[in-house]
Parts: sequence; C-alpha cells; structure tokens
Amino acid sequence: MFSRRIWQELLFIAVTSTLLGLGVNHTLIRRYVQGEFKESFFSSAEYPSIAFIPLAEAEELFARGEAIFIDSRPEEDYGKGHILGALNIPFEEQKKNDLIARHSLPQDQTLVVYCDGDECQSSVELAKILHQHDFASIKVFFGGWAEWIKAGLPISVEND
Amino acid sequence: MVGGIFIWAGLLKIFDPLGFAQAIANYRVFPYWMSFMLALVLPWMEVICGAFLVLGLFRRSSALFLSLFLVGFLVLIVSTIARGIDIDCGCFGRFSQKVDYKLLLTDGILLFFSLNIFFQKKAKRRITHSKF
Repeated sequence: MFSRRIWQELLFIAVTSTLLGLGVNHTLIRRYVQGEFKESFFSSAEYPSIAFIPLAEAEELFARGEAIFIDSRPEEDYGKGHILGALNIPFEEQKKNDLIARHSLPQDQTLVVYCDGDECQSSVELAKILHQHDFASIKVFFGGWAEWIKAGLPISVEND
Repeated sequence: MVGGIFIWAGLLKIFDPLGFAQAIANYRVFPYWMSFMLALVLPWMEVICGAFLVLGLFRRSSALFLSLFLVGFLVLIVSTIARGIDIDCGCFGRFSQKVDYKLLLTDGILLFFSLNIFFQKKAKRRITHSKF
C-alpha cells in the first residue's frame, strides 16, 4: 500500500519519538516504577498538602469527627446517597463557580475528598483546587463512595 | 499551519507529562500504565511530525502519522461522548477544551488538512511523471 520509503520514515519517526520521550522522562519512569503515581498522575512535591488515604483511615477520621468530608460528585449522585455529613462540592460545578469559597471551610481542618471510586478522578482534581486555596491537610479517599457503601458505613440521602 | 499546531500542542504536553498522562487516564480506555507511556511518547511524535511538516522533510510520512493520530483521536472522542463522560480533551495542555461535538469538528478539520498534505504530494508526483 505504501512505498518502502514511507515505511522507513514512519519507523524513523516512531523510534526517534520513543527514544526521546523515554530518555527525557527517565526520572519520571523511575518514580512511576517506585509506585509514586499509583493512584493518580501528579507530583507529590507539587502538592505537598495532598495525601491518599485508604478506607480504614477515612473511617477513623470519620469516627473521630476530625475531618470534613467533601463529595466531589455531581449534585444528582450526591442526592442519591453520600457519606453522612459530607458536603457536596461537585468538581465540574467548582470549575464554573467558586463553591469552595461559599462553604467557608476552616483552613486548618483536615478535608477528606472522595468521589465514586478508583475509576473517577474528580476527587483528585478537586483536591488540587483545594490545595490552590491553601488548605493545609487534604486527604483523597480514593476508594470513595463504592468502598464506603460496600463496608456498610454511615450514609445519608439528605442534604447535610 | 498543521505542522505549527502540532508543534504547539506537543510542546505544551512535553512540559506537563503528568498532566497529559492524567488526561489520557480520564478517557478510561487504556490501562493505567499505558496512559503513562503514551503521555511520554505521543507529544514527541507530534512535535517531530509537526517540525518535519514545517521544514518540508518526510512530509508524506509525517502527514500520514498525524492523520493516524487524528483518526484514533476521533474514535476516542466519539466513544467518550457516547459514554457520557464529561472531561477535558488534554490535547492542548492547560488550554484544552471539553470533549464534545466542537472538538469532533476541530479534529475533523485537522484530519482533512493532514490527509490533504499526504495526498497532495502524490498527485504532484503523478503530474511531474506524466510530463516526461
């Protein structure tokens, strides 16, 4: 279908790009292999106030009442059920209006952000915005709503 | 023009590989590790093909490479819209737009120009050959 020359040129482009891409980013690859980007692709050095927590830690923070839980899912999903006491700051809505400012959250309080589960990324994206708002302690509960409900932990269908 | 657009798009992503990796992962199509690898390599392909187009080197193969990208991206856009996933395309780094019908149109226009470059030279060659 294509001439031999075209194939050779395509191969040249593919090989050069691959070598450059892998070569320039070798430190990132090492960090990936070490497990740094296990949950999400962002640099912990760039967002020092964000940490990922498992269900057990989220449950502990919930039981102690030491954290404010934030549901980053759309209002519709939040309305169907959410972690008891969680506030709703939908990530998509936050991009249009500054909902974080409206909630007047205390800066020194630990915030636990969650969404559907490990397939969704809105909790991480919202956590990044919270970081930009200078919140000191932001935890992303990556297992999210799916893990919470599976564990039979307290939920609510009311607007908290 | 096509070359310039791809150089710009590629450079934006080269400077933010993690952001692009996340953008690819958000499509929920590729395995996690593959999103990472694609984010490291694809922007370089865009820049190299774009630069070749601007410089007039490997024009047909660069145009073909970019056309293949664009076809793949078209499929990805359609599948994302069909699945109702609301995400940014990640195509122009921080200047990325939403995955919607407008993006489909932009991609289609770029594909048209890219294929045009690929077939243009072939047509010119035929004319040149017919002269002799």
